[in-house]
Amino acid sequence: MKVLTRRDFLRVSGITAAGLTLSRLGFDLTPAYVYAAELRTELRIKGAKETPTVCCFCSVGCGILVSTDKSGKVINAEGDPDHPISEGALCAKGASSYQIAVNEKRLSKVRYRAPYSNTWKEVAWEWALGRIASNIKKSRDKSFMEKNADGKVVNRTNGIASVGSAAMDNEECWLYQKFLRSLGLIYIEHQARI
Amino acid sequence: MTNHYIDFRNADVILNMGSNVAENHPVSFKWIQAAKNKGATFIHVDPRYTRTSAKADIFVRLRSGTDIAFLGGMIKYIIDNNLYDEFSVKNYTNASFIVNPKFSFDDGLFSGYDPTKRSYDQSTWALEKDENGVPKRDMTLQNERCVFQLLKKHYSRYTFEKVVSITGTPQEDLEKVYKAYASTSAPNKAGTVLYAMGWTQHTVGVQNIRAMSIIQILLSNMGIAGGGINALRGESNVQGSTDAALLFHIIPGYMPTPREQWAKLEDYNKTTPSTKDPRSVNWWKNRPKYIASLLKSFYGDKATKDNDFGYAWLPKLDKAQDASWLNLFDQMYNGAFTGFFSWGMNPACSSANAGKVRQALAKLDWMVNVNVFDSETGSFWQGPGLDPKKIKTEVFQLPCAAFLEKEGSISNSGRWMQWRWKAANPPGDAMPDGEIIYDLFKKVQALYKKEKGAFPDPIMNLKWDYETNGKFDIHKVAKEINGYFLEDIKEHPVDKKEYKKGTLVPSFVFLLDDGRTSCGNWIYSASYTEAGNMAARRKKDDPTGLGLYPQWSWAWPVNRRIIYNRASVDVDGNPRDPERAILKWDAVNKKWLGDVPDGPAPPMGTEGVYPFIMKPDGVASIFGPGLKDGPFPEHYEPLECPIEKNIMSSQRINPVIKIFEGAADTFTTCDPKYPFVCSTYRVTEHWQTGVLTRWLPWLVEAEPQMFCEMSLELGKLRGIQNGDRVIVETSRGKVEAVAIVTLRLKPFTIAGQTVHQIGLPWHYGWLQPKDGGESVNLLTPTIGDPNTMIPESKAFMANVTKLTAQPAKKSKKA
Amino acid sequence: MADKSFFIDTTKCTACRGCQISCKQWNMNPATKTVQKGSHQNPDDLSYSTYKLVRFSELEVDGKPRWYFFPDQCRHCSTAPCMVVAESMGIQAITKDEATGAILFNPKIKVKAKDFSEIRSACPWDIPRWDEKTQGMAKCTMCIDRIKEGLLPACVKTCPTGAMNFGDRDKMIDMAQKTLNAVKAVYPKAELLNFEFVRTIFLVTDDPKKYHKFASAEDTTVIASLKKLAEPALVG
Repeated sequence: MKVLTRRDFLRVSGITAAGLTLSRLGFDLTPAYVYAAELRTELRIKGAKETPTVCCFCSVGCGILVSTDKSGKVINAEGDPDHPISEGALCAKGASSYQIAVNEKRLSKVRYRAPYSNTWKEVAWEWALGRIASNIKKSRDKSFMEKNADGKVVNRTNGIASVGSAAMDNEECWLYQKFLRSLGLIYIEHQARI
Repeated sequence: MTNHYIDFRNADVILNMGSNVAENHPVSFKWIQAAKNKGATFIHVDPRYTRTSAKADIFVRLRSGTDIAFLGGMIKYIIDNNLYDEFSVKNYTNASFIVNPKFSFDDGLFSGYDPTKRSYDQSTWALEKDENGVPKRDMTLQNERCVFQLLKKHYSRYTFEKVVSITGTPQEDLEKVYKAYASTSAPNKAGTVLYAMGWTQHTVGVQNIRAMSIIQILLSNMGIAGGGINALRGESNVQGSTDAALLFHIIPGYMPTPREQWAKLEDYNKTTPSTKDPRSVNWWKNRPKYIASLLKSFYGDKATKDNDFGYAWLPKLDKAQDASWLNLFDQMYNGAFTGFFSWGMNPACSSANAGKVRQALAKLDWMVNVNVFDSETGSFWQGPGLDPKKIKTEVFQLPCAAFLEKEGSISNSGRWMQWRWKAANPPGDAMPDGEIIYDLFKKVQALYKKEKGAFPDPIMNLKWDYETNGKFDIHKVAKEINGYFLEDIKEHPVDKKEYKKGTLVPSFVFLLDDGRTSCGNWIYSASYTEAGNMAARRKKDDPTGLGLYPQWSWAWPVNRRIIYNRASVDVDGNPRDPERAILKWDAVNKKWLGDVPDGPAPPMGTEGVYPFIMKPDGVASIFGPGLKDGPFPEHYEPLECPIEKNIMSSQRINPVIKIFEGAADTFTTCDPKYPFVCSTYRVTEHWQTGVLTRWLPWLVEAEPQMFCEMSLELGKLRGIQNGDRVIVETSRGKVEAVAIVTLRLKPFTIAGQTVHQIGLPWHYGWLQPKDGGESVNLLTPTIGDPNTMIPESKAFMANVTKLTAQPAKKSKKA
Repeated sequence: MADKSFFIDTTKCTACRGCQISCKQWNMNPATKTVQKGSHQNPDDLSYSTYKLVRFSELEVDGKPRWYFFPDQCRHCSTAPCMVVAESMGIQAITKDEATGAILFNPKIKVKAKDFSEIRSACPWDIPRWDEKTQGMAKCTMCIDRIKEGLLPACVKTCPTGAMNFGDRDKMIDMAQKTLNAVKAVYPKAELLNFEFVRTIFLVTDDPKKYHKFASAEDTTVIASLKKLAEPALVG
């Protein structure tokens, strides 16, 4: 079969009447149709479970539909067309949500770095939370101030501070501030300040 | 936001100033485009031409840090040309109020300044009251001590000549913007303003926003569809986290944090705003109900009338203590803390003067870091220039679930509280933050039970019962925030109806100050009621046709979609703009139609209540005596600036800012070593410090590395070509970047001299990607706005030079 | 299914790159290694794993900066030169979905570098891309799998502003013409690029070369040929 170059294309098309089709050029189209059959005709999210959520990045609050397969794995995340603010739209960041869910770099183990150590060590939740709790108690008991320099009752923990977090849900934020204030912290800050 | 995102489409003129909406809130541009499609004018005012400017009908430059001069000139223009809305200014603002005769302003200082304390005695800024304690008014606005005359006098100084000289904006550009924006003073025109950190991250941040608020009030753009003051907040739930008071100075629902001088609940309740004007609703009068209900949500049955509902268990600040971010890290740097939580944050990159923060982290005994990915904070001990063998800090890195791996709500900038459902399980051992917090507190409580310890009462008495079938249940927290009736109430004082113990309160209107109700955050009360989880609603009815969607999710307060909406009607309750009627009084049935009104009272009439129900005087404040740096916005130069003298006065910088003087805090101004104005900002493809986005390959592909944008003129001056590697340096630190030498930046002429401005994104950090570059916050100064202590990351002085060793360039061109 | 087309109104594009990433997301295309070279456009160019790319172009017009954004992609031509050339070389890797008009590459069919270069050079918009490792070709698929199910292409669905549009060709032509008429009042140089013979119709307000070297088919002979081949099937 003759090889048609770009120049040839121009020549061929230049002399061919309107309505030219490839078959009239004598090409065998069978393999192409074989390909068409093997194309993804099945929508890859067909039958997948769709869960509505809201984007985690900026404060517009765009709707996202997350598709998960039978094993529960995220297979797609795109705009929620029913959402009145975003109407299915997502920017570059929102459109990347899938890579938050499916990402081998995710932290999936509790890690501990001992004083003066140069490595992380994977540890169990139970151990880590236990040790954090005892650190909290140690720091709190050591730095707790009942009365300040003016002799006024302040009942606070001077030795622990916290920053965080607008990355949490409302309920979690509320629970977190309740936790911190019950410990007596006053140095409670987060992203809203910066 | 007073309004909400969809509402942009209702505006005739949209002013985007102090933010970059197309890049940082990209999908909201849908509604700007919708307004443009209907003929709206879109204005962008910014030091730099961005993707937003590319879509603006009017783009105008100003030097970073000069917004008050720009807006002050607009106030003068509006007054000089009688372009304000007289009805609204007289009836709905404090323009007619009379100010204390001792109030004065002279050469950059308001009356009452104490230079040794760097603060004001605000007593001379008070409004005059009559014998009944009601503010005195002159409805003709002629009294020389009335707010309107003082405003006129103050801004008469903001002449075109001075504004041009300060901002570097040509006069014709100023006029173009002033004219277009002032056109919205007609009652049937709406103008809205969209701002973000471009206004807040300055030593005059609050006053930037005040200046624009004054303009919105003068033009009657508050409380209307297509109007308002709209902060485009940077994170998906930074509205909600602020509402939940993860800040030192407030407790949930914007109530002040207890301080030493309010030892008893009775003392605390004396902070309740009051008014003697019978026409002012002063909604904050309800504070005692909200604090009592909050304490009940903290301590449950342990909170009783006899023990002040456990008020003593809440920690108290010293009298005037400021425990905000910059002070927190200053204290940490000085070794004040042994323990630290960095929860869902990355201060090693996000904090101003991040180099100081990184050193501070090494002074801790322990740190808990909770994140979705590793971060420069969690791994600070292996960061550049640090030797792990010398760092004692014990670090716990806890893996948390990402947003789509848990259930709960977030609040967007428009105050829409939207529920999110769980789509998948978190990877490995990762857990939702809520569960981590829940389990951790149980451990702490068990320890105190076993071992006792310092003042265990607040820990032992804390109500911590958010489980269903032995598992943490986020819905129980959501209900706690909404609030419960804690006893059977036979006849509620509000509606005389009966309420059962254990049922959810319908709204904060039903909260009581006697311990019979609980509520974790009064502004969220009505979000999860006996009728269900309001945030989870997905109905799309839009009865006003203005895009309020009252049955989609839920907005605080009480599902009000536009705050101060009573300012949109005349004294009889008729919409001043019938085409965009968000509220209308139905005189026959005696009720409001449209949005949820700012309080149910009938229209103002001649005897009724004033429209701004959250303000003690019931009106909008043109004169704002509550701020630390003055009742009117005044231009001061940034702490680090390119000119020796403030063109407006002898006060170069904001006279009340706190100057940090430690070894890690240095500042330069008019120093030839650091000659260029520098700003930090974001791009569409990354988010904040990149703590999430630098781990997402598609986004790293799109914006892979740290860059520094500069003008062609500056490139020429410094011998820097597009794509060259450069060093950007301040007195605090330096970072490497790739130069983007672009015609989108231009030098300014300021006070007759050429001033160059450069800018860098704050998305990068040493950890990931390896060739991405370092955090720009190594450059930024520790200096904050006097009211908020938000750092001045938008205007500081830097130098940029070409890196001598340039990496080999690939021959292939893009 | 009716003949389909895209209408891309560059006046509404904010370069949020939602389309660029949504395309990757839907097609599960990996990120490529990029570096900052003094432009916000990245990656540099379309590739085997980048079917959709927002091109950024800065210039000065009347002393004022302009920033043109061009969300580039396959034009899905009425008669695709890439397909004609490939078929002539006996390479059955390109086909046309007759129902929609989508031009489809089969990435599973191996193509030699030399042959690919002929195919690529046949395209006036420089769209076809090839991977050295797999020896396969790839480009925009019109999200054929989505549109057959009545969904919008991923890039169109994600676009916030209405820059990206997709639908029946007659409707898109109508939308394009109406938008052009409105835009011309402000930008007299506005035009629809090659709309007679492509299914991806760009509206630009200035010389297309200022957006991107290959924004518009410029070779007059090619244009004449393609126009002729398109009649009467595509002309709207």
